[in-house]
Amino acid sequence: MNNRIREFRARHDMTQDDLAKKVNVRRETIVFLEKNKYNPSLKLAHDIARVFGVAIEDIFLFDN
Amino acid sequence: MLFKSNFVLEIINNSIMKRALIALVVSLIVLASAALWFFKMEKSVTTPELLTFGIIIVLVGFGLYFAYIRFTGARRDEPPEDELSKKMLQKTAAWSYYISLYMWVFMIWLKDRVTLDTEQVLGAGILSMAVIFFLCWVVIRFRGLRNE
Repeated sequence: MNNRIREFRARHDMTQDDLAKKVNVRRETIVFLEKNKYNPSLKLAHDIARVFGVAIEDIFLFDN
Repeated sequence: MLFKSNFVLEIINNSIMKRALIALVVSLIVLASAALWFFKMEKSVTTPELLTFGIIIVLVGFGLYFAYIRFTGARRDEPPEDELSKKMLQKTAAWSYYISLYMWVFMIWLKDRVTLDTEQVLGAGILSMAVIFFLCWVVIRFRGLRNE
Protein backbone atom coordinates (compact mmCIF):
# COMPACT_ATOMS: atom_id res chain seq x y z
CA MET A 1 0.00 0.00 0.00
CA ASN A 2 1.31 3.45 -0.94
CA ASN A 3 0.02 6.82 0.13
CA ARG A 4 -0.07 10.47 -0.93
CA ILE A 5 0.08 12.03 2.53
CA ARG A 6 3.15 14.15 1.73
CA GLU A 7 1.45 15.52 -1.40
CA PHE A 8 -1.78 16.38 0.42
CA ARG A 9 0.14 17.89 3.32
CA ALA A 10 2.05 20.18 0.94
CA ARG A 11 -1.20 21.13 -0.78
CA HIS A 12 -2.71 22.16 2.57
CA ASP A 13 0.53 23.85 3.68
CA MET A 14 0.69 21.63 6.74
CA THR A 15 3.73 20.39 8.64
CA GLN A 16 4.13 16.82 9.89
CA ASP A 17 3.68 18.17 13.39
CA ASP A 18 0.39 19.89 12.46
CA LEU A 19 -1.03 16.74 10.90
CA ALA A 20 0.15 14.60 13.83
CA LYS A 21 -1.64 16.91 16.30
CA LYS A 22 -4.84 16.88 14.22
CA VAL A 23 -5.04 13.08 14.15
CA ASN A 24 -3.65 12.68 17.69
CA VAL A 25 -0.54 10.63 16.93
CA ARG A 26 3.19 11.23 17.38
CA ARG A 27 5.08 13.04 14.61
CA GLU A 28 7.17 9.88 14.17
CA THR A 29 4.04 8.03 12.99
CA ILE A 30 3.52 10.55 10.17
CA VAL A 31 7.20 10.16 9.21
CA PHE A 32 6.80 6.36 9.05
CA LEU A 33 3.60 6.69 7.01
CA GLU A 34 5.18 9.05 4.48
CA LYS A 35 8.15 6.71 4.06
CA ASN A 36 5.71 3.82 3.48
CA LYS A 37 7.18 2.00 6.47
CA TYR A 38 3.86 1.60 8.24
CA ASN A 39 0.32 0.72 7.16
CA PRO A 40 -2.12 2.64 9.39
CA SER A 41 -5.23 1.30 11.08
CA LEU A 42 -8.56 1.96 9.41
CA LYS A 43 -9.33 4.60 12.06
CA LEU A 44 -6.09 6.53 11.47
CA ALA A 45 -6.54 6.32 7.69
CA HIS A 46 -10.10 7.66 8.12
CA ASP A 47 -8.91 10.49 10.40
CA ILE A 48 -6.18 11.53 7.95
CA ALA A 49 -8.62 11.48 5.02
CA ARG A 50 -11.07 13.58 7.03
CA VAL A 51 -8.39 16.19 7.82
CA PHE A 52 -7.78 16.64 4.09
CA GLY A 53 -11.49 16.41 3.24
CA VAL A 54 -11.12 13.52 0.80
CA ALA A 55 -11.98 9.81 0.67
CA ILE A 56 -9.55 7.22 2.07
CA GLU A 57 -8.86 5.76 -1.38
CA ASP A 58 -7.73 9.20 -2.63
CA ILE A 59 -4.85 9.15 -0.15
CA PHE A 60 -4.11 5.46 0.32
CA LEU A 61 -3.40 3.56 -2.88
CA PHE A 62 -3.90 -0.17 -2.62
CA ASP A 63 -1.79 -2.54 -4.71
CA ASN A 64 -3.51 -5.13 -6.87
CA MET B 1 15.52 30.81 39.17
CA LEU B 2 11.99 31.42 37.88
CA PHE B 3 12.78 29.31 34.81
CA LYS B 4 14.04 26.52 37.06
CA SER B 5 10.91 26.55 39.23
CA ASN B 6 8.67 26.57 36.13
CA PHE B 7 10.60 23.61 34.77
CA VAL B 8 10.17 21.69 38.04
CA LEU B 9 6.44 22.52 38.10
CA GLU B 10 6.12 21.32 34.49
CA ILE B 11 7.61 17.96 35.46
CA ILE B 12 5.45 17.63 38.58
CA ASN B 13 2.22 18.40 36.68
CA ASN B 14 2.97 16.20 33.70
CA SER B 15 2.72 12.43 34.31
CA ILE B 16 4.58 11.61 31.06
CA MET B 17 7.48 13.81 32.12
CA LYS B 18 7.43 12.13 35.53
CA ARG B 19 7.82 8.74 33.83
CA ALA B 20 10.63 10.10 31.66
CA LEU B 21 12.32 11.40 34.80
CA ILE B 22 12.01 7.97 36.47
CA ALA B 23 13.62 6.34 33.39
CA LEU B 24 16.40 8.92 33.56
CA VAL B 25 17.02 8.36 37.29
CA VAL B 26 17.01 4.53 36.91
CA SER B 27 19.46 4.75 33.98
CA LEU B 28 21.78 7.00 35.97
CA ILE B 29 21.63 4.70 39.02
CA VAL B 30 22.54 1.69 36.83
CA LEU B 31 25.36 3.69 35.26
CA ALA B 32 26.67 4.82 38.67
CA SER B 33 26.53 1.24 40.08
CA ALA B 34 28.34 -0.14 37.02
CA ALA B 35 30.99 2.58 37.23
CA LEU B 36 31.46 1.92 40.97
CA TRP B 37 31.85 -1.84 40.32
CA PHE B 38 34.22 -1.24 37.41
CA PHE B 39 36.52 1.33 39.02
CA LYS B 40 36.62 -0.30 42.48
CA MET B 41 37.81 -3.65 41.10
CA GLU B 42 40.94 -4.75 42.92
CA LYS B 43 42.34 -7.14 40.35
CA SER B 44 43.13 -6.16 36.76
CA VAL B 45 40.21 -5.88 34.34
CA THR B 46 39.56 -8.95 32.18
CA THR B 47 38.01 -8.91 28.69
CA PRO B 48 34.60 -10.36 29.78
CA GLU B 49 34.34 -7.68 32.48
CA LEU B 50 35.20 -4.97 29.97
CA LEU B 51 32.60 -6.40 27.59
CA THR B 52 29.97 -6.47 30.36
CA PHE B 53 30.73 -2.86 31.23
CA GLY B 54 30.49 -1.87 27.54
CA ILE B 55 27.11 -3.60 27.17
CA ILE B 56 25.80 -1.84 30.29
CA ILE B 57 26.92 1.51 28.86
CA VAL B 58 25.07 0.80 25.57
CA LEU B 59 21.90 -0.23 27.43
CA VAL B 60 22.02 2.84 29.66
CA GLY B 61 22.43 4.94 26.50
CA PHE B 62 19.31 3.23 25.12
CA GLY B 63 17.41 4.05 28.34
CA LEU B 64 18.55 7.68 28.23
CA TYR B 65 17.48 7.92 24.57
CA PHE B 66 14.01 6.58 25.49
CA ALA B 67 13.76 9.13 28.33
CA TYR B 68 14.82 11.91 25.95
CA ILE B 69 12.18 10.92 23.35
CA ARG B 70 9.46 10.84 26.01
CA PHE B 71 10.60 14.15 27.46
CA THR B 72 10.73 16.06 24.15
CA GLY B 73 7.42 14.47 23.06
CA ALA B 74 5.75 15.60 26.28
CA ARG B 75 7.05 19.15 25.81
CA ARG B 76 5.51 19.19 22.31
CA ASP B 77 2.19 17.93 23.76
CA GLU B 78 2.42 14.68 21.81
CA PRO B 79 0.57 11.61 23.09
CA PRO B 80 2.97 9.33 25.03
CA GLU B 81 1.82 6.34 23.00
CA ASP B 82 0.02 5.90 19.71
CA GLU B 83 -0.82 2.94 17.48
CA LEU B 84 2.64 2.82 15.88
CA SER B 85 4.59 2.93 19.16
CA LYS B 86 2.29 0.28 20.70
CA LYS B 87 2.64 -2.04 17.70
CA MET B 88 6.39 -1.49 17.61
CA LEU B 89 6.72 -2.37 21.29
CA GLN B 90 4.52 -5.45 20.90
CA LYS B 91 6.51 -6.67 17.90
CA THR B 92 9.84 -6.00 19.67
CA ALA B 93 8.64 -7.89 22.76
CA ALA B 94 7.43 -10.84 20.66
CA TRP B 95 10.65 -11.08 18.65
CA SER B 96 12.94 -10.71 21.66
CA TYR B 97 10.97 -13.31 23.67
CA TYR B 98 11.25 -15.79 20.81
CA ILE B 99 14.99 -15.19 20.30
CA SER B 100 15.63 -15.23 24.08
CA LEU B 101 14.27 -18.78 24.30
CA TYR B 102 17.00 -19.93 21.92
CA MET B 103 19.56 -17.88 23.82
CA TRP B 104 18.66 -19.67 27.09
CA VAL B 105 18.91 -23.06 25.35
CA PHE B 106 22.38 -22.01 24.19
CA MET B 107 23.30 -20.92 27.75
CA ILE B 108 22.23 -24.33 29.11
CA TRP B 109 24.29 -26.04 26.41
CA LEU B 110 27.26 -23.78 27.26
CA LYS B 111 26.94 -24.40 31.02
CA ASP B 112 27.60 -28.12 30.50
CA ARG B 113 30.80 -27.40 28.57
CA VAL B 114 32.32 -24.38 30.29
CA THR B 115 32.77 -23.98 34.04
CA LEU B 116 30.56 -21.07 35.02
CA ASP B 117 28.97 -19.96 38.31
CA THR B 118 25.17 -19.86 38.40
CA GLU B 119 25.41 -16.10 39.07
CA GLN B 120 27.54 -15.65 35.97
CA VAL B 121 25.11 -17.64 33.81
CA LEU B 122 22.10 -15.70 35.11
CA GLY B 123 23.88 -12.34 34.79
CA ALA B 124 25.01 -13.07 31.24
CA GLY B 125 21.51 -14.34 30.35
CA ILE B 126 19.73 -11.25 31.68
CA LEU B 127 22.22 -8.94 29.98
CA SER B 128 21.83 -10.90 26.71
CA MET B 129 18.05 -10.56 26.93
CA ALA B 130 18.41 -6.78 27.22
CA VAL B 131 20.80 -6.71 24.25
CA ILE B 132 18.39 -8.89 22.20
CA PHE B 133 15.52 -6.50 23.01
CA PHE B 134 17.64 -3.50 21.98
CA LEU B 135 18.72 -5.14 18.70
CA CYS B 136 15.15 -6.20 17.85
CA TRP B 137 13.94 -2.64 18.47
CA VAL B 138 16.66 -1.22 16.18
CA VAL B 139 15.88 -3.73 13.40
CA ILE B 140 12.11 -3.12 13.57
CA ARG B 141 12.64 0.63 13.60
CA PHE B 142 14.74 0.50 10.42
CA ARG B 143 12.59 -2.12 8.74
CA GLY B 144 9.25 -0.49 9.55
CA LEU B 145 5.94 -2.21 10.19
CA ARG B 146 4.46 -2.77 6.76
CA ASN B 147 1.72 -5.34 6.19
CA GLU B 148 1.30 -6.13 9.88
